Amino acid sequence: MTLAVLARPAMPAFEAALPATTTASPAAKLAVRRLDFFYGASHALKGIELDIPARQVTAIIGPSGCGKSTLLRVFNRIYAIHPGLRASGEVLLDGEDILSPRYPLNRLRSRVGMVFQKPVPFPMSIFDNIAWGIRHHERLGRAELADRVEEALRRAALWDEVKDTLGRSALALSGGQQQRLCIARSIALRPEVLLLDEPTSALDPIATGRIEQLIEELKSDYTLVIVTHNMQQAARVSDRTAFMYLGELVEVDATETLFTRPGKRQTEDYISGRFG
Amino acid sequence: MSASPYPRRQFTNALALGLGGVATAVGLAFLASILWVTLGRGMAAFGPALFTKISAHGAEGGLANAILGSLLMDLMALAIAAPVGVMAGAWLAEHARSSRLGAAVRFLNDILLSAPSIVLGLFVYVAVVLPMTRWSDGAVSFSGVAGAIALALIGLPVIVRTTDEMLRLVPGAFREAALSLGIPQWKLTTQVLMRAALPGIVTGVLLALARLAGETAPLLFTAFGNPFTTLDPLDKMASLPVVIYQYTNDPSPDLHAIAWAGALLITTFVLLLGLAARGLLHRHRTSP
Repeated sequence: MTLAVLARPAMPAFEAALPATTTASPAAKLAVRRLDFFYGASHALKGIELDIPARQVTAIIGPSGCGKSTLLRVFNRIYAIHPGLRASGEVLLDGEDILSPRYPLNRLRSRVGMVFQKPVPFPMSIFDNIAWGIRHHERLGRAELADRVEEALRRAALWDEVKDTLGRSALALSGGQQQRLCIARSIALRPEVLLLDEPTSALDPIATGRIEQLIEELKSDYTLVIVTHNMQQAARVSDRTAFMYLGELVEVDATETLFTRPGKRQTEDYISGRFG
Repeated sequence: MSASPYPRRQFTNALALGLGGVATAVGLAFLASILWVTLGRGMAAFGPALFTKISAHGAEGGLANAILGSLLMDLMALAIAAPVGVMAGAWLAEHARSSRLGAAVRFLNDILLSAPSIVLGLFVYVAVVLPMTRWSDGAVSFSGVAGAIALALIGLPVIVRTTDEMLRLVPGAFREAALSLGIPQWKLTTQVLMRAALPGIVTGVLLALARLAGETAPLLFTAFGNPFTTLDPLDKMASLPVVIYQYTNDPSPDLHAIAWAGALLITTFVLLLGLAARGLLHRHRTSP
């Protein structure tokens, strides 16, 4: 962990020299401290410690069932909608613990957006899919709202394909377009962090390429965390990669380092395809 | 040496298929016979008088007052049962999905679903008709409203159950996607889940209407019946099932003919509702 902190690129020397403490380092957008997670009695995440730097793409990889999606679903507390699930420890977003019951959930979810494995357009028009969330969080005039919808669709590289059919049902879009719509819907709320849970596993290679390109473009404004079972994808899109195994965070490092000179034997076995 | 099991298996298969086919044919034959007899006998008395004259004229009359009364009471019943049923179903599906209270309510709803309709009629007689005599100078105050409440109790559990089931069929992904935008549960339920499940919910309401439109027993002690046309919901009100019941108890064959025509009307109405419900649900299943 200390090594990983030291290896973080573009860190001012005096910050990197600080000893590891339980407080988040200033550049970490999200800091996970002693995180444990339980599905009823089963212990799914064990003592996770992880810093997620701002305006970078962090990939979480690992074999099925290692807890990577579970970890992602802690970051906006979406797990809390299911009974019997429990997290303990701290997850600091800009230094504030989002696991604290006092942290307002709706504010958290407008700051931390999430895109799921399967695209989930709502049964309404393309325009309303984007506008619905905005309308809930802000009071905007008609023209302002239209501007915000356009801006979100442009950022998600979907505007040119749908600008003439905004009133049509979003269900008529292709899978790749639907996924970009879901990304647009999340960034329309101007979140600070965007969580992507295997966002391309239901898409064809061309649509996948477009989403990966989009991830690259979005990182100038957002902190992105992507869970993927596809190691090539992690290597292509991320700045840092975390490897998880059996509910533990084995190793986190700059993506290039992790894939070329992994520090742990388990990581090496996994990325070289010996298991998982 | 054991013989090949194939011939025996083929025989068993043919036997099972054959018995299944016979059972289906027997069931359908009864349905076809009911429809055929209703159509044949009902058409005999079918004519414009059925819709223009009232039952006060007896054999020279029609069913205009009963048709109007049935429509009024069915609509009032739906106006009560649909909002309550949809809201209760939404609560069951979204807030009490796996709680013990939810399971208890679901069980009680199923009991209401199979409760004898005469019992519901008696309940409304005691709970609504008798207390209302206070405002009618002691006269027993049968009324269209009381009839509608009794019919609503017939339709309510159907709507609760279909709404609950249809909402539970909506993929969980919608919930996670909406909640992760910071949208509160009530907006999610009313603006996404209900919209996604709307064809199914409307189907449930139509099936409830089909169910309550044919009921006689809940109306006997509540709306009572009325040989004249009335639009006053606090007055005694005529209805098709009750007129049919009364006419079939009469020795006059002319009245029997009118009763058959009324039966044909109800059957057609219920059949059309069933077809509409099927059509809606089919569109729902095949839409993306």
